[in-house]
Amino acid sequence: MKTTLIDSPVANVANIARALRATGAELHVTRDTKEIAKAQKLVLPGVGSFIAAMRWLTENRIDTAIHEAVNRGASLLGICVGHQLLFDVSHEMGSTPGLGLIRGEVHKFDGSLPVPQIGWNRVTARGPLFDGVEDGVFYFVNSYAASNVPDEIARADYGGPFTAAVQRERVVGVQFHPEKSSAAGLRVLRNFVAWT
Amino acid sequence: MDVVPSLDLLGGKVVRLLHGDFARVTTYGDPEKVLDSLDVPAGSRLHIVDLEASRSGKPVEMEIVRRLATRGLRIQVGGGIRSLADARAWIEAGAEKIVIGTVAADAPEVLRAIVDDLGAERVIAAIDVRDGVVRVAGWERDATASLAEVLARVEELGIREALITDISKDGAMRGPSFALYRSLRTKLRIIASGGVSTVSDVVSLSRIGNIGACVIGRAFLDGKIRLSEARARVAAPNAIPERVIPCLDVREGRVVKGVNFADIRDAGDPVECAILYESAGADELVILDISATDANRSTSLDVVHRVSESLFIPLTVGGGVRTIEDFRALLRAGADRVAINTAAIRNPQLIADCAAEFGVQAVVLSCDAKRVGDHFEAMVRGGKESSGVDAVAWCQRAEELGTGEILLTSVDRDGTNSGFDIELLRAVTSIVKIGVIASGGAGNVEHFRDAIEAGGARAVLAASLFHDRRLSIGDVKQFLANEGIPVR
Repeated sequence: MKTTLIDSPVANVANIARALRATGAELHVTRDTKEIAKAQKLVLPGVGSFIAAMRWLTENRIDTAIHEAVNRGASLLGICVGHQLLFDVSHEMGSTPGLGLIRGEVHKFDGSLPVPQIGWNRVTARGPLFDGVEDGVFYFVNSYAASNVPDEIARADYGGPFTAAVQRERVVGVQFHPEKSSAAGLRVLRNFVAWT
Repeated sequence: MDVVPSLDLLGGKVVRLLHGDFARVTTYGDPEKVLDSLDVPAGSRLHIVDLEASRSGKPVEMEIVRRLATRGLRIQVGGGIRSLADARAWIEAGAEKIVIGTVAADAPEVLRAIVDDLGAERVIAAIDVRDGVVRVAGWERDATASLAEVLARVEELGIREALITDISKDGAMRGPSFALYRSLRTKLRIIASGGVSTVSDVVSLSRIGNIGACVIGRAFLDGKIRLSEARARVAAPNAIPERVIPCLDVREGRVVKGVNFADIRDAGDPVECAILYESAGADELVILDISATDANRSTSLDVVHRVSESLFIPLTVGGGVRTIEDFRALLRAGADRVAINTAAIRNPQLIADCAAEFGVQAVVLSCDAKRVGDHFEAMVRGGKESSGVDAVAWCQRAEELGTGEILLTSVDRDGTNSGFDIELLRAVTSIVKIGVIASGGAGNVEHFRDAIEAGGARAVLAASLFHDRRLSIGDVKQFLANEGIPVR
């Protein structure tokens, strides 16, 4: 099955494309709404600002296309800010609605540790996305995260617990960067690519 | 591990003595005010030392203990307790436990009487050590027993907790005696005390086997360690792995002093070296372009591009980055983070500009520090020339400007294999919140541990040590894991 990578300008698409190809994915990189709406397996990357990433989705009607694909039963993987975009709302500089595919809100870390979190962190996970890496270590770069949400499938701790990954039916999201998480990250991507 | 704030009392006030000297007193004020200002929640364990009693042998500050106990604080009190009557009096005043030093070393029969009367769980044996010798009576004379003898005697009495203070470290903020605590062979639950000056010290102590609690004194009073932060970090000491990072020095597209591995076809090829190090467990890769002249810039970008194409761990690149355009070009070529050195010292605004443009996570300050007299100076031009800028102050400034992490290289130690410069690391890690990568001087596995444990580094870097196969990344990680330091 083909994997469709959404070609967001607010993301490091090249790195994720390379990692997906390394897992054997037959990859299609696009920002065409028709192709996204018809996709069976979608990857939504994102780095930097939630607001900028969400604005790009809405202004280009990619948000509608993603909803259409998900409603048809497509699998969707959000990565980093792409994962945050799945939620109802983010509180990054005010409140910005997300795609609303996952219940919950994204908040800034309020612990005593330096923000952004930059580095490896231990993740306790379950579910098909984490098959073989239920107790893995992944690479994070983030100042914001969801925590204690109903669809949480993976949890990490950064001055307090936060949600490292979510799954609601065919929609999954990972807060870390699988493309920078060596073998464990590639395993998660391979699990997604192979997910039926 | 529990984190226990300590109040030394003298004349009804909270004070600190430097090296136990009653002539060198710093006064912090009324105990209640001090506790309120430092946010000590009810239910906390609190360590109280009656300093006058430690000198005279007669309890003085009983009324304060009585008042603090009514606040729901669990008080362990020490200072000159030499008789069963005194011990009982403190417990009746509301102390949960008493801390007994002198008697434990000199007169075990008194200690036995106290344990029999109050119960072993009420008694903490306090043992002051200087250079491996047990000291008693408020630091003013040597005891008659060795540390091992005292520990054995304490265990025989059924006591379960021992407060061990290296008094050469106490109040001096140079870090606790990790080696001392690691060397202890005892079933006692150890309370570490003395020299704990940063949250990183607290975390490092929590990773040592039988340490059940640590006492924080001056660093707590001075606000350098916040109790809530220390407790949060200790609650999850193993969540965040410390990183081991190989560094490739590249000149004109080739690794300088190539990697000495049998299973590599081209020891000078950065791509082959990078792949090898990722599979060996490297948590990140640093490439420093040491040619980095304008003429070689395109070669350098090509190296970064080719390496990033083959690498699935973070890649940090530095060397000759002068402008925001240089920075952007390296990110575009595939670097995750870019290290700035000389150009930032000459133009600190470059850090702020790059942070605003690319995010602080992309900015690494590379600081080459050299000891000059009693301080460290930031060097420029590959460590060859002094900038006249204080290295520690510069690191702090760079954090404010927007640096995600600091790559701190000791120019003095670089290439010596004599160990990282712990003093330099502590000077920087005790004042910045961002992570510090220790660089320069690695020679054996203990050096890596010390940089993290005592130096407070969040990552350790080496080049030729790994290239020459004197140590593998796996050796380092295995050793760190055995020492209780979390690794990936």
